[in-house]
Amino acid sequence: MVNEVEREIQVLQHYLNEYGQQLEVLSQQLQMIEHGRAEASAAVEALTGIDTAEDGTVLLPVGGGVTLRVRVLDPDRVLLSIGSGVVVERQNAEARSFLEDRMLEMEASAKRLTETLGKIQGQANEVAQRLDQIYRSVQQQGQAPPATG
Amino acid sequence: MSSISPKVQNQIAQLQQVQQQLQTVLSQKAQYEIEIRETRRAEEELADLADDAVVFQSVGTVMMQKPKADVAASLKEKTETLDLRVKQLERQEQMLQGRFEHLQNQVKAALEGGPAVPSAT
Repeated sequence: MVNEVEREIQVLQHYLNEYGQQLEVLSQQLQMIEHGRAEASAAVEALTGIDTAEDGTVLLPVGGGVTLRVRVLDPDRVLLSIGSGVVVERQNAEARSFLEDRMLEMEASAKRLTETLGKIQGQANEVAQRLDQIYRSVQQQGQAPPATG
Repeated sequence: MSSISPKVQNQIAQLQQVQQQLQTVLSQKAQYEIEIRETRRAEEELADLADDAVVFQSVGTVMMQKPKADVAASLKEKTETLDLRVKQLERQEQMLQGRFEHLQNQVKAALEGGPAVPSAT
């Protein structure tokens, strides 16, 4: 009987660890997507700002809290990375539209990931509850809970 | 673990090794598939541009301006190469999956005291 309980605890602990690892990986992916979305949003804001700036002068941060006054030569033509190490010249509005499309895709991915995270978290909670139940019943029976790795 | 025979212990170790190899292959495959999607997407974006569009491609640590057709050709070649690698990894995955299932059956049979599964050659 004790062996069966030990075995169940080991199996549940294994599942709990697996779920924990999956949750960690998915959370990291979600963070990356959210970071990408925030970056794209900032780029859209910058492109809009540059497009409407009076004389095209902006402050360019060079690090260490230092900024330089620079004039954007042609605010309507921007260089945009389309992935796979390729950069193309696009009009300001086209670049914004490209980024906005990417942001929508990232939002959809984030939503899917959040749903998956919720499901895995639910399963992990069920396993944790079952483990808790076993530990309590073992304690009630006056047995020391079996050691697990 | 002490009551398990050295033969079964060896099979369990092999099983764990095969599982690790399988995970490595799967993660490499996923990485290449992401790269393929990104490259195909870049190809599509490029196709929407005029033939004389200004296009740069990274060469080492710098970006060099290149004709659109050249960049499109290089992206196509990259996709083909990656596709080939994915196919190779799929073959490896199948082989490892087969080995894993065989070892798993052997270990299961040994632990349950059932009929012995013949060793893979």
